[in-house]
Amino acid sequence: MKLFLMFFLAGIFLVVLQTTLFHLLPIGPVVPDLILVLCVYLGLYHPSVGGVLGSFFLGYSIDIVSSPILGFNAFAMSLVYLAVYLCARSIWLHHPMVSSVVVMLAALVKGAAMVVIWAIFLSVDGFWSGAARYVLWEATLAALLAPVLFALLRRGQKIIERLDPATA
Amino acid sequence: MLAFLRRNQIFFSSCVCLLVSLYILTAAARGQIKNEPVGALLMWLLRPLQIAGQSTADWIKGFRDNYDTLAGFRSENERLRKRVQTLEIERQRLLEAEATNRQLQKLLDFRNELPSGAITATIIAGSATSWFQSCVLNKGSTDGVRKGMAVVTPLGVIGKVVAVTGRTAKVLLLTDPNSGIDVYVQRTRSRAIVSGSLDSGTMLKYVKRSEDVQEGDRLVTSGMDSVYPKGLLVGTVIKVRKQNRGLFQSIEVWPAAQVARVEEVLVVGVETEATKK
Repeated sequence: MKLFLMFFLAGIFLVVLQTTLFHLLPIGPVVPDLILVLCVYLGLYHPSVGGVLGSFFLGYSIDIVSSPILGFNAFAMSLVYLAVYLCARSIWLHHPMVSSVVVMLAALVKGAAMVVIWAIFLSVDGFWSGAARYVLWEATLAALLAPVLFALLRRGQKIIERLDPATA
Repeated sequence: MLAFLRRNQIFFSSCVCLLVSLYILTAAARGQIKNEPVGALLMWLLRPLQIAGQSTADWIKGFRDNYDTLAGFRSENERLRKRVQTLEIERQRLLEAEATNRQLQKLLDFRNELPSGAITATIIAGSATSWFQSCVLNKGSTDGVRKGMAVVTPLGVIGKVVAVTGRTAKVLLLTDPNSGIDVYVQRTRSRAIVSGSLDSGTMLKYVKRSEDVQEGDRLVTSGMDSVYPKGLLVGTVIKVRKQNRGLFQSIEVWPAAQVARVEEVLVVGVETEATKK
């Protein structure tokens, strides 16, 4: 329960961060996608139905705040979770050094999902070159920020596990 | 069978989530989702946090501006620098108050030019993702904001309301690829559509090669889309390219109102036969 609360609060905090303070960064319209990093973390370290639902709702919350049509990010984040979970089941991905690579690949999966859904539901002109730029930018930024967020989440998790050993 | 399902419960629950997302997407794209209680609850929860976050962002922006202003005084001694810093912060505060005052006065004057019932609102958050250009306002259905209303400033058009909760409203900016504003080229009265794009900023679309559009032409709302009142400035043409192929010209537009530099906006509705009834 305490872990759930921690991830819930982290999700809310990251949404607020992405909608407000991150717009101060001098990187144009690209917003670092920390929600994606959180989903990857859930996929790697919390393989459970709770983790699946968590990723879905994280994506859905982004849809609520920013998307003109609901469901875009919910789909993309669920797909990211599933991809990370399936990979982590067959390959050892839990080393901290690998986190950046995993997040980068997850960002590419998310980008591909967004491109496909966008092409189906919101066909617009000049889409492909713009989409490729966004996908690469987002993946790079997420990969750069992933080790910091992973470390913070792990620390938070350890503190909670120390306070309540039953959650460990 | 049950053991198989249990063993693969994460896989199956992920598949269910993917299917649910696709269902939501399809329903939302068809406009079948009218009231969305989870979204309303989340926005209610996020609203104060976003206001606090935006205040912090404004404070940081102000602090950064102050720092830039103070960079020239580095060589002076510590006491003098502290004194200057205090005075500069105070000056900045007064300038900010004056600028806000001027902005609100302009907004008030502008409001008198618009159809009655314009609602003043503040932008409390930007887009959480790079894929959509949107922002969140601090006014919602309880303040009279409705889906489809136009969001404008004295400088020009910002976008339109695409979702409303009790005390917040989501605005799709004119720079988003999914937006579209019916406009006139002010000089020639040619009609076209202004829309965002993912790769090359804001564009003026569907202008035939034979049409006369030049750099510097001002684009104003036509009022034909029943969203934006007629005659509001949308942007200025900054680049015109006539390619060797294709029916239309490729025209880049510089939006008149940049959302990054706007805090207060007006939300206006256009009276149509449907709304009159």
